[in-house]
Amino acid sequence: MERIDPEHHDGTSDATPGGEPDRRRPGELGFAAFLLLTSLFLLVSAWGIENPFGPNGLSSPRALPVATTATMAVAATIILARTARLPRDASETFARDILPARALLFVGLLAGYALLLRPVGFLPTSAIFLAVAIRYLERRSWGWTLAVSLGALLAIWLVFRIVFTVLMPAGIVPEAEIIQFFRALAKGAVG
Amino acid sequence: MEALSGLIVLFAQPQLLLLVGLGTFAGIYIGAIPGLSVTMAVSILISFTFSWDVLPAIALMIGIYMGGVYGGSRTAILLNIPGAPSAIATALDGYPMAKRGEAGVAIGVTTVMSFIGGFVGIAVLALAAPLVSDFALSFQPRDYMLLAILGILLVGSLSQGSLTKGIFAGALGIAIGSVGRDPLTFAERFTFDFQILEGGISFIAVMIGMFGVSEALIQMHHVDKRAMRQKIDRVVPSLATVRKHLPLSLQTSTIGVIVGALPGTGGDIAALMAYDHAKRVTRNPEPPFGEGAMEGLVAPETANNAAVGGAFIPMMTLGIPGDAVTAIMIGALFIHGLNPGPMLMIDKPDMFWFIVGCLVAANVFMLIFGLTGIRLFARIVEMPRGVLIPLILLLSIVGAYAVNNSIADVYWMLGFGVLGYFMRHYGYPLGPVILGVILSRLLDDNWRRAIISERGDLGLFFAGILSSPLSLALFASVILIFVSQTPLWTRAKARLFPNAQRNP
Amino acid sequence: MKRMLAGALALALTATAAVAEYPEKEIQGIIQWGAGGSTDTVMRSVTPHAEKVLGGVIVLQNMTGAVGAIALNYVAGQPADGYTLLMGAENPMLYKVMGLGDKDYGEFIPISILARGTAVLVARPDTPFDDYAEMISYVKAHPGEVKFGSTGPGGVPSVINAMIGAVEGELEVTRVPYDGDGPALTALQGGAIDVMPAVLGAAIEPIRAGKMKVLAIMDSQPNAKLPDAPYVTQFNAGYETYLPWGPFFGVFVRKGTPDEAVRKLTEAYAKGAQHPDFVKLMNDRGFTLMGISGKEAEDFLAKWQQGTAWLLHDAGLTKASPEEFGIARPGN
Repeated sequence: MERIDPEHHDGTSDATPGGEPDRRRPGELGFAAFLLLTSLFLLVSAWGIENPFGPNGLSSPRALPVATTATMAVAATIILARTARLPRDASETFARDILPARALLFVGLLAGYALLLRPVGFLPTSAIFLAVAIRYLERRSWGWTLAVSLGALLAIWLVFRIVFTVLMPAGIVPEAEIIQFFRALAKGAVG
Repeated sequence: MEALSGLIVLFAQPQLLLLVGLGTFAGIYIGAIPGLSVTMAVSILISFTFSWDVLPAIALMIGIYMGGVYGGSRTAILLNIPGAPSAIATALDGYPMAKRGEAGVAIGVTTVMSFIGGFVGIAVLALAAPLVSDFALSFQPRDYMLLAILGILLVGSLSQGSLTKGIFAGALGIAIGSVGRDPLTFAERFTFDFQILEGGISFIAVMIGMFGVSEALIQMHHVDKRAMRQKIDRVVPSLATVRKHLPLSLQTSTIGVIVGALPGTGGDIAALMAYDHAKRVTRNPEPPFGEGAMEGLVAPETANNAAVGGAFIPMMTLGIPGDAVTAIMIGALFIHGLNPGPMLMIDKPDMFWFIVGCLVAANVFMLIFGLTGIRLFARIVEMPRGVLIPLILLLSIVGAYAVNNSIADVYWMLGFGVLGYFMRHYGYPLGPVILGVILSRLLDDNWRRAIISERGDLGLFFAGILSSPLSLALFASVILIFVSQTPLWTRAKARLFPNAQRNP
Repeated sequence: MKRMLAGALALALTATAAVAEYPEKEIQGIIQWGAGGSTDTVMRSVTPHAEKVLGGVIVLQNMTGAVGAIALNYVAGQPADGYTLLMGAENPMLYKVMGLGDKDYGEFIPISILARGTAVLVARPDTPFDDYAEMISYVKAHPGEVKFGSTGPGGVPSVINAMIGAVEGELEVTRVPYDGDGPALTALQGGAIDVMPAVLGAAIEPIRAGKMKVLAIMDSQPNAKLPDAPYVTQFNAGYETYLPWGPFFGVFVRKGTPDEAVRKLTEAYAKGAQHPDFVKLMNDRGFTLMGISGKEAEDFLAKWQQGTAWLLHDAGLTKASPEEFGIARPGN
């Protein structure tokens, strides 16, 4: 039933998998090991959940976490064993087929975004992110890049901040004061 | 007579009708953008419509609700990013169709089917609301638990490829769903003494990360390829197509109404259950499920729109919310001086019929806007990927933050995005993860309630299951589906019916 | 044109600077509970009236999680400038003893305690008892058979359960936990539980419709919404010690907020809470309007915390003794 993209086996067909059924892709074994270790760690943690007001029986807050992490651990063990038995796919490399430089760069960009979001604020962080990302991917002039990214950012900001009043971290931009200024202006114009 | 007066109010006042239309239109876009949710929109509207009369406020909210549930399918089909949790199953077959350039057909079928589903939901609401709400109320904790297990078994049909990997993903989802303070005892689970973990992980954040961010990262492999040109000239599906899928759509609508009417379950679970149902009853679809089967669109889209009417059933008859959106609407009715509860239908029957009228109007508007505004949406996909991908990422971030105004959710969203990226590469299905998160609380809380109700006695627990026809029916379906998914059954079947056609 | 714009801008800037009084920008209102809940409904219906008095904009946001502790800690971490309000219910007063956090409303100035709820003991219509006294004797005759709905420790039902335990001695009932009044009352109507201590506002409509019956109002006097229903001190005067008791809703700012902001906000919410629409809403939902602030509110909070914390502690439902946090036993 597996549907495989002939070029890259990358699972773009749907939300379901893009792995190879009879070969081990680069890094797959490591990923399976990582999942097993995570499962075991969570299982230990689940076992440590204490019911503050009663016994740790079938109806305690521990029951389901222990059951589900144990299932994870068993499934991860089977997956690891199966993966280890598969022959390696020699035609692929990790750096080219799994995590190419471009994807890695974006993971880095997102990590940077997450770090800067709170101290610097939503607007400057997003402006930098969009500009860098679009410039890198589209390789057009800076004027075009800035126009597109700032325009899009403004649209998103208007929808989320003004219409839906989602208050993203303001950081160094005095957003509330700016909005108040426009509000006063609008009121002044009406009055 | 009362029915008429309520309906007449709506259709006699063009501005009310206009508000329903406006709401539906806005709802489609709100639903399509991952991170803008109907729940959010409706709760904003409470403040926005505070000084209005109750009728226009409700008209606008219902429009947004109906449009929003439908709108989630747009991005699922065009970008493989479900705009709302109830559109997760839609992506499974909708996106493969868009990849072949058939987005227009996919959206057309989705729209018509959403209309049919929505209509079935409204019809049941209008004709049989008290009956269905009695049935929904009769669900005991053990029945909810069995329903959740039935839901968990969908892992089987959502995991193409390795079932073991699907089981792992489903269990991971359940574990993610149990992070934070347990709501029943306040015990800390998987919090590792971090304050930000105490509130748990928002499942919308997980969904946006797993589908939005991981899809954007996957697209990094294809930035240079030109976007597929979408054929959008023939959008309205032929009568033959609709007729062919009518039986299935009625079945899945029924699933939608009932799951929607149950307090505590909504369109997301309904859509996944309907998808599973379609997979079971459809023989040899062409193309197969997961590669663009029409049935894979029909089922979830009828079910999630039918669930809208379903969610209003307990709300109108008992004042009990059928899902998150109806919960907010009950609050809105309170604020506007009405008292939603069992007496509402007796005290103010015209309100009931007004809401039914709004739903009908919203459903029709949805059909109109759904079939006409496709060109604009298709343009979005044809945008240069170098612009589209960064925008998807930014929307994912804002959307994850907006769920609960929490930066922690942004971190989770990004983390699960990267995890989802690797899971896709190595053949782990993502659907079961979301399924697990959605069902985690339903399963956990009701399992514990069921056991506590029987004072911890497993014998009594099973005796309880056997003594109730509803529990027994659910239990039998669980066993049946479980057995039919195990390899043992396939082997037994092959031996018993050697000539039977293999059902993929 | 350009010069005109610049001039207007400068004028507007100096104008705002000269007037520079609170509120000079929009205010964030952080609601501790989710959209559609009763705290949310109360706050969203009073705030527009308060905004009018204040002449400013209050942007409401829901921030849920950890019984409201996430929202409380968020507001406690914002500057004490009066631009972030905490809108919550009674729960934070129990955080310390429940081990949910080390902060409570003690870190905040009460702008307004808006209203107080009354608890009511309801049962399915077909249970074999019709009032509180019959229920107690039925429970004693059939230990473990009656299913009581409860919510997480510290919720209204758990406090009422502790109160019943303190007055009647520990009852042998099966307590089935739910994550709130709403789901538990739904379960009651579906027959999953038999008895539920709930907030009057959440139960009043089903009571009116005969979907559940009142065993007793947990108060020392009859209730205007249900004048015929018995109140609990009619059955057992032992409850006098603990009543009146009920959950409440309030608006708070951090300690250290400038006096002018506190004064303006207090005035705004005091006037806003008197708006007829809000009064009607509260009355319909069975809440008692309070509208107290300042010292009066602080005393109310302290007394509430003393009584409730010790009640729960004596019932073995706390993680730490109230003494550890300097909460004295009531009466001392």
